[in-house]
Amino acid sequence: MIDFDEELKKFHPSLEVEDVSEAIYNQDLTDMADLIVSMLKETKNSTAAAGSRKGVEAAQNVQG
Amino acid sequence: MQMVCYNCGCNLSEHEFCTSCGADVSQYKKVMYISNRFYNDGLESAKVRDLSGAVTSLRQCLKFNKNNIEARNLLGLVYFETGEVVAALSEWVISQNIRPKKNIANDYIEMIQSNPARLDTINQTIKKYNQALKYCDMDSFDLAIIQLKKVLSLNEKFIRARQLLALLYINNEQWDEAKAQLIKCASIDTGNTTTMRYRMEVDEMLTPVDGNKNKRVRKKDDVEIVRFKSGNEDIIQPAVSRSGNGLGIILNLMLGVCIGIACAWFIIMPARVNIAAEDYETKIKAVNEQLDAKTAEIEDLKSQLDIAKKQLTDMQDQLSSYEGYDGSLSSLYSVIQAADSYLSDPEDIETVSDHLDAVDASQLGEDSQEAPVSLYNTLLALAGSELAQKFYDTGYEAYSSGDYEVAISDLTRAYQYDPTNGDALYYLAQAYNHSGDETHAIQMYRKVIDEFPDTEKSDKSQGYLEQLTGSNE
Repeated sequence: MIDFDEELKKFHPSLEVEDVSEAIYNQDLTDMADLIVSMLKETKNSTAAAGSRKGVEAAQNVQG
Repeated sequence: MQMVCYNCGCNLSEHEFCTSCGADVSQYKKVMYISNRFYNDGLESAKVRDLSGAVTSLRQCLKFNKNNIEARNLLGLVYFETGEVVAALSEWVISQNIRPKKNIANDYIEMIQSNPARLDTINQTIKKYNQALKYCDMDSFDLAIIQLKKVLSLNEKFIRARQLLALLYINNEQWDEAKAQLIKCASIDTGNTTTMRYRMEVDEMLTPVDGNKNKRVRKKDDVEIVRFKSGNEDIIQPAVSRSGNGLGIILNLMLGVCIGIACAWFIIMPARVNIAAEDYETKIKAVNEQLDAKTAEIEDLKSQLDIAKKQLTDMQDQLSSYEGYDGSLSSLYSVIQAADSYLSDPEDIETVSDHLDAVDASQLGEDSQEAPVSLYNTLLALAGSELAQKFYDTGYEAYSSGDYEVAISDLTRAYQYDPTNGDALYYLAQAYNHSGDETHAIQMYRKVIDEFPDTEKSDKSQGYLEQLTGSNE
């Protein structure tokens, strides 16, 4: 059995044509590709930092 | 669809790294594959008009790859098809920004923007839909239904409006109307779960119970209905008993009479009034035309009257000129009559006198040699002395008796017939003087002094004249 009041709550006012720009600005356009790229870049940066630290330690050992 | 490297933008090959910059693209490629998979799924759903399914798939697709232009454009199209014009425009504008050139979204946007009337209609549709929702909030469901019908007349593919209308019909237990709306919803979007749920509810309510196909279950009331098919239409009508009681029949009759009167008042009367008004207008027009004709006729008659007046004036002028001529004739005729009377009876001085009195000597002419003047002078010579004596006697007698009016008349005629009769002139002056007519008295006294100088009458006249004028002359 349909609950009329509950069903009615599911209907929301429609955006008017004047509100198109606002709707576009408020849209979150971040996608999965952005996240993957970001993750890959972070991984690459951390790998590079770790490599440089190891290089410094190796150089210090050689000097010592 | 050709994939490009996220790092350098070069086209990717079958390798797990970019052949240009060496970046690892294995995970990136998987994301792109998933996105494309959702796009294909959305496209398949759209092809079979499962628009809700298409929206779900395409939105998933764009969550994996926002730069999937084809998916975004298709999502816009699907939105547009379901009446969600603002959502469609949003997708197309974003698509246009990602790829400004060689993008079908440009055509879609131009199609809407180039027709301001259509854009206005779209906006009106949305406003009315929102108004209908407000009516629902205020529990004004009838107004909401009216508003939604207007919305659907402007955009019959507006799924949400149609679903809301179906919901309101369901609430009113107008199952068939609700079903009709839901069927239309399903024809636009086959996979919409809301439509399906409402349809199930409606179908359940319209399902025959215990094999009796003409009876349906009602949720709230127990009003019996009669249901039958007329062609393709499923007709439902309340099973109202035709056999009412007497009061009911009377009430129905009165209601019928009232409706009849109302129809006559609101439909027939205005038509009759219009016909009568047109008839009166025609009559007024005819009367006005007649009035114009009469006015023109009056003007014509006035001008004719003016002409006639002018002619009358001319004729009167002519007549007056003829009257002068006639006066001379009259005087001439009187002279002849006087002559005739004198010749027939010289003793009848009275008659001769009457005729001569009627003569105006100036009308006879100025030349004394002419016959009328000569005849008049002869008559005066023959009868003038007798006439003068006769009038002098009567005039003097009247003067003596104090009847100055008769005296003036007779003495004037006495002097007229005999200008040598100084006594007549003197007593005429006296008669004027005693009657109080000093002006004529003075004239007469002066005449006596002038015409009969060195006489007793002249001396007396001089004395009276001095008395009247108050100075010596």
